[in-house]
Amino acid sequence: MRKMVLLACLSFAMAATAQEDLLNELDSVQVGDEAYATAAFKGLQIVTLQTTKIPAKNEFYFVVSHRFGTVKDGISEFFGLDMATTKLGGVYGITEWLSVSASRHTMLKVYETGIKYRLARQGSSFPLEIVGYNTAGINTFLEEEDYPKLEFADRLTYTSQLLISHKVSDKVSLELVPTYIHKNLYDPAIENDNQFAVGAGGRVKLTKRLSLNMEYVYNADKPDFYVNPLSVGLDIETGGHIFQLLFTNSQAMTESGYITNAAGDWGDGDFFFGFNLYRVF
Amino acid sequence: MKKNIILLFLLMPVVFYGQKFSTRTGTVKFEATVPSFEEVAAQNKSVSAALDASGGEVAVLALMKGFRFKVALMEEHFNESYAETDKFPKATFKGKIEGLDITKLNATGQVFTITGDLTLHGKTKKITDRVVVTRSGNTITITGSFKVKPADFGIEIPKVVSSKIAETVTIEYNLPLNKQ
Repeated sequence: MRKMVLLACLSFAMAATAQEDLLNELDSVQVGDEAYATAAFKGLQIVTLQTTKIPAKNEFYFVVSHRFGTVKDGISEFFGLDMATTKLGGVYGITEWLSVSASRHTMLKVYETGIKYRLARQGSSFPLEIVGYNTAGINTFLEEEDYPKLEFADRLTYTSQLLISHKVSDKVSLELVPTYIHKNLYDPAIENDNQFAVGAGGRVKLTKRLSLNMEYVYNADKPDFYVNPLSVGLDIETGGHIFQLLFTNSQAMTESGYITNAAGDWGDGDFFFGFNLYRVF
Repeated sequence: MKKNIILLFLLMPVVFYGQKFSTRTGTVKFEATVPSFEEVAAQNKSVSAALDASGGEVAVLALMKGFRFKVALMEEHFNESYAETDKFPKATFKGKIEGLDITKLNATGQVFTITGDLTLHGKTKKITDRVVVTRSGNTITITGSFKVKPADFGIEIPKVVSSKIAETVTIEYNLPLNKQ
């Protein structure tokens, strides 16, 4: 009789652990897909440099960016806010790995088109996200009256970049950006038609929806009177919007202008306030 | 005789343990839409589940990254800021269907009570609700729905979007389990 009670107890015990056993069995049969690192960056830009983020298929990002005049001008220009330059544009995801963009810039009346494509994804088998980015800028500020021999090709500037990012942790992501810029129209006395640069940047998330970003570009071919761009920004994400507030020493928003024509001076208080606003459809 | 009874007791858990049904293609949907705002809903079609038919024990496991939204950005936010799926990759349920007798099941379905622990986002909560169980041949299908509050699982919804995400989320499941 005692034996029977013991056995009964035993069988009850086995029934009680059955739920746990069932769950453990499920656990062991789960074979997940390759786990990719997602959302290394919230926005499509760190500050002005592009991030490795690409819009999803059929996603449309509407972009409005401003860079105001230099803060140095003080209260008479309302710290630069009287002198706004604007970028209006859109970015569209054709597939999960390819997007196209077009924008119009106030500065030099530039139309810029771009293409962005993912080459490798950060995941359990590969540590880096690698994205290619190419832009062509069309300068429509040049007047044929001023330059009678001007041809359409002279208006063009090309940028080719490799965006290489690594999501270190939930909070920290880093990026490296080797860049090649070619200008069809240039002044050989002061600059090269081909310029090489390397950008580096990253973000630190302060909260779930707020991140602090920073980027620097070393331009190996810049003339002395230009500087290397250094920018800091704050990403604020609110559902369908991404709002980036920033300070930079390079006022231009085209890839080539930003990297090759930075004219501010952080030490001298000569820098620019601006923002990028993304609305996602 | 006594020995036979002992043997019976010994075999009982073993025999009943063999009556197991399972799937890897169960569906779990959740719906947190507020009327007249953008749809907030997602579906996971690769949910694993197992049923021990003898005692009615059920275990369900869903990988949180498997939930698909219509809007990619919403999915990113779900993974990044709400469910924090890097930190909490799995949602599990382990519980019991009270009074389940698989020999009496039919294709039209019977209603039972299911109770158990739902674990997600690192928090566990007891769930008790009705469940419909149908059987056709070697397939037992468990369907039902229940409501949970994200706040109960430590999932914060920030003020700016709180009017667009329902306070109570409806979770629907459909688990067609095949005999192993």
